[in-house]
Formats: sequence, structure tokens, C-alpha cells
Amino acid sequence: MAKKAGCGLSLNLLVIIILAGLALVVISFVGGTVGAMIFGGEPMSIFAVHAPAPELPAEHPFAGIPITNTMITAWVSILALTGLFFAGTRKMKVVPGGLQSVVEFIFEVASNFIEDAAGKEKARWFFPVVVTIFLFVVTNAWFSLVPGMESIHLDGAPLFRNANTDINVPLALALVSFIAVEYWGFKAKGGAYIKTFLNFGALGNALVKLFTGKIKAGLSGLFSGFVAAFVGILEILSHLIRILSFTFRLFGNMTAGAILTMIMIFIVPWVIPSIFYGLEAFFGFVQAMIFGGLTLGFACAAVMPEE
Amino acid sequence: MGLGLDLATFVGQLVSFLILLGLLTFVGYKPIRKMLDQRSEKIRESMEQAEATRQEYENAKVAVQEQIKKGREEGQAIIAQATQTGNRLKEEAREEARKEAQVIVERARVELQHERDQIVDDLRREFVDTAILAAGKVISETLDKKKHRELIEEVLQESATLRGK
Repeated sequence: MAKKAGCGLSLNLLVIIILAGLALVVISFVGGTVGAMIFGGEPMSIFAVHAPAPELPAEHPFAGIPITNTMITAWVSILALTGLFFAGTRKMKVVPGGLQSVVEFIFEVASNFIEDAAGKEKARWFFPVVVTIFLFVVTNAWFSLVPGMESIHLDGAPLFRNANTDINVPLALALVSFIAVEYWGFKAKGGAYIKTFLNFGALGNALVKLFTGKIKAGLSGLFSGFVAAFVGILEILSHLIRILSFTFRLFGNMTAGAILTMIMIFIVPWVIPSIFYGLEAFFGFVQAMIFGGLTLGFACAAVMPEE
Repeated sequence: MGLGLDLATFVGQLVSFLILLGLLTFVGYKPIRKMLDQRSEKIRESMEQAEATRQEYENAKVAVQEQIKKGREEGQAIIAQATQTGNRLKEEAREEARKEAQVIVERARVELQHERDQIVDDLRREFVDTAILAAGKVISETLDKKKHRELIEEVLQESATLRGK
């Protein structure tokens, strides 16, 4: 009798499955477009995938109407998320069940995560923006992985496309994140928050000392004053650069993932793309965590009281 | 090939996201937070209530024990008192009975004495009468009957030893 080798399957069965998988890989590679180029002949029709022609700008599936496919996908994500939360909170009970436990689970995990980082009071400020960014990004990413979604073509353009791969979406999210962080900074510290960026106080003091005759104290203060002012300017730059890094991190990762999956499907139509689907699902989650998490981190830094 | 930056799309996506933010806040986050707060409030209340009930039970237990103890003490006191009263009553009854018996005995003695006196008197009278009769018979009416009686009475009086004191 064969021993259990893993996954609850006998060794023989496992070997058969692995061999079958390898066979499918080889067959689909040889029979595919790339295989046909290498070995000559025509590609088999079921493996004949069109060469990927990724477009960075979002396509317009409806001719003449300025609605892009990424917009449509974003709306679907919005509908799905709103529908989930609406259904989950429609008839709320103290003892939860069904969808209510699902949305409460999401809420509580996110709430604990944010409270751990920001404390109870600030968590209430950050929660909506951070969680909505996370949910939007991850829903966009996963929606595009639903098999067949990106295969529906209208007017030569796919009807749906991962909204995160349209640079306007990451840019919009980055801008929301940036504005929210600066708003929280001002809300927490009031006018003193501006000192983070325009810190000329020490420099001014040093100049006053210099001109009132305290040359030695003035000179030593002058240096630290310059440093403080320069740090402020660096701070301005870093906050602005965040917009770019947010945008291109999400855009780049998602676009690269989409293109990579397309290429893998083109080269080896069977088995291998499944692995990349799994990876893409994971990366979509990770990117959403990073976007939400960084927003949270920057927010915490902005509201942190200075000693 | 450009990146696809487009102001209209950007604004559209920004507005879409803000709408999502608003929708989720009002449809999701707020009701869920309210429900969670409500739930933790309810749990806190139940815990407090349970604690209060436990406290109450604890207090009641102590009170009951106190009462039992008091009752027992009271019972013991009552028993002791009853025993004492009983003893006293017994003693009194005994005393009374003794006294009564004494009285009865005394009375009986007196009565006895009286009766004896009566008997002695009767006997004496009879004796006197008999003596008189006999003497009368002997001296045949020589003596005045009345005088004779007086004489004998006198003698008897002088030697009144038969009559007990």
C-alpha cells in the first residue's frame, strides 16, 4: 500500500498529478505561439494566445464616450464594497451573524491595526481614509483577477481593467493620502504644524544675537539655525515626493503584475499562469496594505507631538 | 507611449474614491462602530450586573448566616430561660406541696386532738354519769344529785391528766 506522501494523497497519485501538470506545461508551451515560433509550424488553436499588447493609458470601451475601462472597474469595486457593507449593516444585531460578522471582522482587524499604531483617539480620525484606501486598492486588484474579467472586449478595448493600473487612480489616492496627512497635522498641532516645514525661528534668533553684539553666541546659533531651516525644506520635499512614490509604487507594481501575467499566459498558457494568479492576489493585498499602512504611518508622524 | 495621465480621468477617479469614502463611512464604519460600542457597553453592563448580583448574593449569604447565628443564640437563650423557669416552677410547686401537706397534717393533727378531746370528754361524762349512777345506787339517793356531780367534777378537774395538752 502506498504511503501518504503529502496533501493527503498517496505517493503514486501525487507523482501522477505532478507529471500530468508538467505534461500540460510542456504541451501548452510547445503548442503555443512561442513554441510554434521555436519549433516551426502553426500554433494549436486552443493555445494560440494573442501577443500581449499592454497599453499604459486606460482604454475607452465605449467609442466616443470619455469613460475608461478603469473607471468602470472602479465603479464596480465601489458598488461591491458599498453593497457588502450595506448588506452587512442593514439589520444589525447585537449578536452578529452572516454578513454582519464579515464586515465586523474587517472593521475590527483594521481598527486594531490602526489603534496599535495611532492610539485610540487618533485612530478615529485616520480610520475611514486608511481603511477605504486599503479596501479600494485590494478590491480593484482582486476584481481584475476574476477569470475572464479582462477578456471581455468592447470596441476593441477590454471592458474591465484593474483600476490600479491606471496611473490616475494611484495618483488620486496619493493626493487624498497627502491632503489627509497634512490636514491631520494641522488639526493635531494647529498653526505650529507649519514649523515642520518653515523653521526659521532659530535662524532669526541667531541673527538678532549677532546684530546685538553677542557675536560668539550668534555665530554658533547661526549654524544650527541654518540646519533647522534646511531640515524644514527637506521636509517639504519629502512630503511632496511621497505623492510620487505612492503613485508609482502602486501603479508600477500593479501594471508590472498585469503585464507579467499576460506574458506568462502568452508563453505557457496552462498551469504556470495559475501560479502567477496566486502571486498577483498576494501582491494586490500587499500593495493595499502598503498604501494604507504608509498613509497611517505618515499620519502618525504628522500628529506626533514634538518634545 | 504616455503614462495615460489625464485630468478628466484623474478628477473622475478622485471623485469616485471620495464617494466611496463617504458611502463606506455612512453605510459601513459608522453603524459598525455604533454597534461595536453598543455591544461593548452591553457586555460591560452585563458584567457589572453580574458583579452586583454576586455582591448581593454574598451580602445575603452573610445576612442569612448572621440571622441563623442570632436565631440559634436566641433559641439557646430561650431554652436556658425555659429550663430555669421550669426549675423554678418545679421548686415552687414542690414548696407549695410541702406547705400544703404540712397544713393538711397540721389540720389533721388538730382534728385528731379535737376528736380525742371530744372522746375523752364523752368518756368522762359517761364515766361521771356511770359513777353517779353507781354511787347513787350504792348510797341510794343520799346525796343531792347536783351536788354530787359538782364534787366529782372538781376532783376530776384537779387531776386532769387525761386531757392532753
